[in-house]
Parts: sequence; structure tokens; C-alpha cells
Amino acid sequence: MISSINPSIKAIAVLIPGIMLGFTFDVFTPLLYFIFILIVTFTMSDIPISKWLKFFSPFLIVAASFAWMTILYANQTFSYGKVLFTIWGLEITEGSVITGCSLALRSLCFVSLSLLFALTTDSTKFMLSLMQQCKVPPKITYGILAGYRFLPSFREEMEILKQAHRIRGVHRTKGIKGKLQQLKRYSIPLLASGIRKAERVAIAMESKGFTGERERTHFHQLTVQKKDWMFLALLIGGLAVIYITSYYLGYLNIFGKQF
Amino acid sequence: MDMHLERSCKNNVNKGQRKPVLAVKDFSFSYENLNKPLFHQLSFELYERETTLLMGPSGSGKSSLALCLNGLYPEAVEGTSSGSIFFRGKNIRDFHKGEINQKIGIVFQDPDSQFCMLTVEDELAFTLENRKIPNAEMPKRISAVLQQIGMDGFQKRKIHELSGGQKQKIALASVLLLEPELLILDEPTANLDPVSRLEFIRLIRSMQRQFRITVFIIEHQINDWFEIADRVLVMGSNGRIIADGEVNTVFSENKNRLREEGVFLPQQFDDCLNHQNSKSIPTSFDKVIISIENLSFKRNEQMILKNMNLEIRHGEFVAIAGENGAGKSTLLQLMAGLLKPTNGEIYFQDVFLHHWNEKELRKRIGFVFQNPEHQFITDTVYDEITFGMKLNEESEEKIKSTANQLMQQFHLIKHRHSNPFSLSGGEKRRLSVATMLDETPDILFFDEPTSGQDAQTMEELMNIIEKLRENGTSIVFVTHDMDIVDQVDRVIVLHQQKIIYDGIPDNLWGRKEILKKARLCLPYRMKSHDEGVPVYDLVY
Repeated sequence: MISSINPSIKAIAVLIPGIMLGFTFDVFTPLLYFIFILIVTFTMSDIPISKWLKFFSPFLIVAASFAWMTILYANQTFSYGKVLFTIWGLEITEGSVITGCSLALRSLCFVSLSLLFALTTDSTKFMLSLMQQCKVPPKITYGILAGYRFLPSFREEMEILKQAHRIRGVHRTKGIKGKLQQLKRYSIPLLASGIRKAERVAIAMESKGFTGERERTHFHQLTVQKKDWMFLALLIGGLAVIYITSYYLGYLNIFGKQF
Repeated sequence: MDMHLERSCKNNVNKGQRKPVLAVKDFSFSYENLNKPLFHQLSFELYERETTLLMGPSGSGKSSLALCLNGLYPEAVEGTSSGSIFFRGKNIRDFHKGEINQKIGIVFQDPDSQFCMLTVEDELAFTLENRKIPNAEMPKRISAVLQQIGMDGFQKRKIHELSGGQKQKIALASVLLLEPELLILDEPTANLDPVSRLEFIRLIRSMQRQFRITVFIIEHQINDWFEIADRVLVMGSNGRIIADGEVNTVFSENKNRLREEGVFLPQQFDDCLNHQNSKSIPTSFDKVIISIENLSFKRNEQMILKNMNLEIRHGEFVAIAGENGAGKSTLLQLMAGLLKPTNGEIYFQDVFLHHWNEKELRKRIGFVFQNPEHQFITDTVYDEITFGMKLNEESEEKIKSTANQLMQQFHLIKHRHSNPFSLSGGEKRRLSVATMLDETPDILFFDEPTSGQDAQTMEELMNIIEKLRENGTSIVFVTHDMDIVDQVDRVIVLHQQKIIYDGIPDNLWGRKEILKKARLCLPYRMKSHDEGVPVYDLVY
């Protein structure tokens, strides 16, 4: 199960293919890897498909619009091949369509990789692992953990603010100037209380003997085991196999250079 | 915890030869410069195994003092200090970083901003990790401390799902894991309901007895702490200690001085408090202002209020009480038209609440929020007060005269050009009420207006309410303060989505089963009738 993989290793396993894919400009390679990630996601984790789709579907639109923009405005390197059709005086070539689709598929790969990480990782464990495996200073990791706790309270506070301002009749102010002022009115009290809370938590942490030094014991001892390395090998190995396949089939295109 | 037991066995100090744990010498502290110190040349000592209570008006710097005592201030803020603080004879500046914090533990006021982890066990482990306790030993220690505070089995629970009282107990547990020699409590019960407050105080008493720990309590409401304090220190608004002595003598000797300073006197010393004066207003109310029929309210599929029927009449002073999470604030927001009922109807002056024109409704309904800062929308006190009138396009003259009159009444004249956020706690509270009064509202809602306020601010608030009622305004309070509930015309008790009591307060005090259910307690004047009976037996 992916949720039991060490979070730091998982982060690396997701980051490396993400970066590597950034260099491929053909359609075939990202498409294969996208299918590979889908298989990994739904066979090795217990993320419900409906939940996954809920997060994933908005990005389909984003990816489609990326593709469309690239197709319209591909630069010379990529606008090779014959002209398929013209729109608004712009010539759409075979090359630009391929580049556009490739971009869309690559962004879908990023999204699905990110979801694979985000939906299977406990935020606390991720921070603890960053501290234990990647030697990130406790000051930073505990700071993020404490901040993370505040997110729900911010939303609550925002609700109260809206009500309090409604009582004062604020929403009756008109025009863009009024709306801008309203933004300022929300942000100052929110900021003020945010700073105050952060200060209080920092003080509470210090008063419990937290000094920020790296030397400390760990309640949750996170370790790197064989299965973590295997997962890393799977994601990167999968990419390598797809690169090779794509090379032999003659699809591989890195930075516009066909191999 | 073994350390404490050991220490208490070795040490059998009697009261004659008191041993100072902490000594403060000529200590001054200020946020900006030393010409305007928050407290000035403080000198006092805290003695081994004694429980000392520090009182003082709000804004006198009590909480800052607590943080100075364990060395977090002035480093953590841009502040300067002079003088010294000694812990067992050693200047606290000479301790290693983090060392003094483990010897002096603090429990803070706000239950929501003293944790950095999500679950109870992670939070408690955080303390142990800081102390570099081997992780094999942690589960044992965590379960032991949870047993001591009566919360064993809560290890995996999420902190934000606990009640305020439970959160404070967890905060205490994580401090106890430091095995401190001095325990500082900074208004730890200010945000708790009455029974949770008494439970917490009882817990402190038993911890103090068990471990013979030295305790320093910072509070401005002494009543409930009275039983466990050996000694009282009072800090004046000038930043100096103005009284120091045993609990029983300090108040009788300094009564007038303390009252001038706005310090809450324990009620057996406070002959000024007159419970009857607010009831002088005629108690026959017949015109209904708000009526609620079959009201239900759900939030995230969770039923908050169910099939509620209620009428509020013109000129009535009503208190809504009940434990944390019983839906008191929700009911208030529904009545003010800030939330929409899931089912049922609310009528305001015989018209459906949601049929009212918003502008007209806001003129007639006032609402004072728990945190006054939430209501501020402009940059100066004057703009704040005139904001509503300007929206309603009143004449320049009327705006000016009304604003001046309000600022006069609420003692805000000298702050007319100040930023509302820069005012003191009490001033903010007064301003938040003043902004509601540019038009005399028909009904005014208050959500916990007295939490964290000192005696003087509260008295002022009650005087303002008195005047409003003379003009026929209905007042509805949500409050935990049973002494306030004791002064109203009618009290409504909420419990598990329903009203379980609706009537005059005097009859409520006799209904022990209701008090017990809703986690309420008796007002102080009732408790003090039975001398010698432990205060906790009178809760129920």
C-alpha cells in the first residue's frame, strides 16, 4: 500500500519522474506514463475512484486550455510539419498540435503524480519524515505543522468576520472602491489574529522546552525500508522502460529533438 | 513524576521557614522603552509548595510577567527589561536555552492556541521529545499522565474535537510531563464553562497536593480559586504590587484601594455588589418582539437546534446559558438573521425575519460579538461610530452630535482619532457596543460580552445596559457567567438541541438536575451561604 511508504522517499519518487517528463515533447511517452501512474494509483492504494476524479477533473480543463494555447502560439521549433488548418489567420501545423497534446498529457501526469502523493500521505508524518530522513531543521517542520492546524480556524474566523460586518451594514457599500475597502477590512483583522495566534503557539512550544535544536528523540520513528526503495525503483524504472520503448518506436522527442 | 514524589519526601518544610523557589528583584519590563514600563521595579518571591495568586486589572501586564518568569520574554518580543529573576538562587539568564522552560511550566489562557500537533498523544509526545526521553518510554509516560488528569483512553483523539475544558486538561498534562518545579497558570479557565472551570480547579488542587508542586496562578476572577490559594499578590494599573498577603487578610485590609483599581473582590468581601438593582425595572413584558416557531438548524448534517419554540418580549433582559457547544451562539445568530433556519420560522415584530429589508433590520437589531475586533471596519474611533449613520445618509449635524454624545457616554472622546485596534481590551469592548447605538435598536444581542473583562469594564457594560433598558431595548446575552445570569429577568438553558429551562433565574437555582445536565453552577452568592461545605458539592 502506498500510504505506508516513507513520505520523503515517496516525495522523491514522485518528483524525479515529474522533472524528467518535463523534457519530453512527444505525445507517446507522457501518454504511456500517465496510464502507468493510473495503474499504480488504483492497484496499489485505496483511494476511491470518485474521490480521485473529484480532484482530478478540474485539471482536465486546465490541461485542455494549455494545449489549445500551445497549439495556437507554438514557436518555430515546434511548428513543423504540414498545415492542418487555419484559424483567425493562424496556421495550425501538425507539429504544434503534437506539442500541445504533449503538454496537456504532461500536465495530467504531474497532477496524477501529485494526487498519488497528496491522497496517500499524512501531513504530520511527511513533516516528521522530512525532519528525520532529510534533516530539515525542527524549527521549520514544527512551524509548518503548527500553521497547518490553523487552517480550519481561519475559515471559521472569516465566517464570523462576514457576519460581524453584515451587522454593521458593510455589504451595503457600493462600487469597486467599496469592494476594495471591504477586502482591506477583512484582511487586517484576519492578519492581526493570525499573527497573534502564531505568536501564542510559538511561545507555548518554547515553554514546553522546544528549542529548535536537531537533537531530539522521536515518538514516531520513521524508517526507510526495502519496500520504500522498491517503490522508488518502480516509479523511476517505469519511466525508464517507457523512455526506451518510445525510443525504439521512434517517438521519443526531447526538447524538440527527435531521436 | 517520580522526581516530585522524591522531592516532597525529602523536603518537609513547614510554614515558618519558607524557602523561595523564585525571586524577582527590581524587575521592570516594557515593550517599547523603559520610560513607559508595563510593570515597574517588581520585587516578590514565590515559596516552595505554596499556591500564590496574582490579580490585577486587564492590561496591567500579568500575562507578560508570566512569560518573563520563565525567560521567554523579553527575547521573544521587542521588549526591554531591567532587574533580575532568580530560580533557586540562580539567575534565569544563566540557564541553558530550554532548560528553565522545563523547570517552570505554563498553562495558557486560550485553549485553541497552545498546541502544535493534531492528536493528544502527538502533543504529549512533543514535550517528551523536547526532553529527549527515549521513545520506548513515551507510551508509558503518556498513559500515566492521562490517568492522572482523568483522561486515559484519549491518546488517539484529535485535539480540536475536544471541549475547552478537555483541551486545558491536555495542556496541563503536557506541562506536567516536563516535571516542572513551578507551575504557572495564566487565566487557564477564562474560556471554560462553569463546571469545566471548577473541574479544572479541582484538578489543579489534587495535582498540587499529590506532587507538592509550587503553583503561581494569574487570574482576575478570584472567586473559584479562593479555596486553593495560600497567598495573594495584587498588581495595580501602575505596574506595581499594591497588595501582598494571606488570602483572608489581603482583601479586608486593602478593600477600597483594590476596588479603585478595578480588581474583582471575592464576593464575601464585596459589599458593593447589589444583585437587586437591575430588577428595579418593571417586569411585566407583554409585547412580543421575536417569536420562534418549530425552529431547527443543521450544520454539516449535524443537528444543532431541534424544534425550538421561543418568544422574546419588548424590554426583556434574557440570558442564554448552557455548556460549550450547546448551540447558544447559533441561536443568537439565527435570531439576528445572520443564519437561516433549516426548518421553522422566526418572526421579528410579527413579520418573517427574512422578509425584512436588510437595511431596516440592521437598524433595529444590534449584535455585539465576542471578539470586538471582528466588528471594526474603519481606521479611527470617530469613523467607526459614524459609519452606520453615514450609510444611512443622516445629516452632517446629526452625525456629529450623536457621535460626540456616544463618545462622551463611552469615555472614548480622547481616543476619537485613535485606530480601534490600538485601544485596550476594555475600550475595544466599549467601542463595539457604541457602534451599535447610533440608532436605538429594538433588540441588542451580546455573545459572551464578559469573558476576559475586568471588574471595571463589566460594571460599565452593565450600566450601559441599564440605560438601554430604560429606553425599552430588549437585551439578550449568551454567557457562562452565573453571576450575570443571576441579574437577568429570564434565563433560557439549552441542552442537546433543546430548551430545558425557561424562566426566572431564582427558580433555576433550585433545579439541581437541570444545572447538572447543562453543566452550570450556582451564582456565588448562593454558594457562600453554606460555609464549610466544599464548593464542589454545591455545583450539583
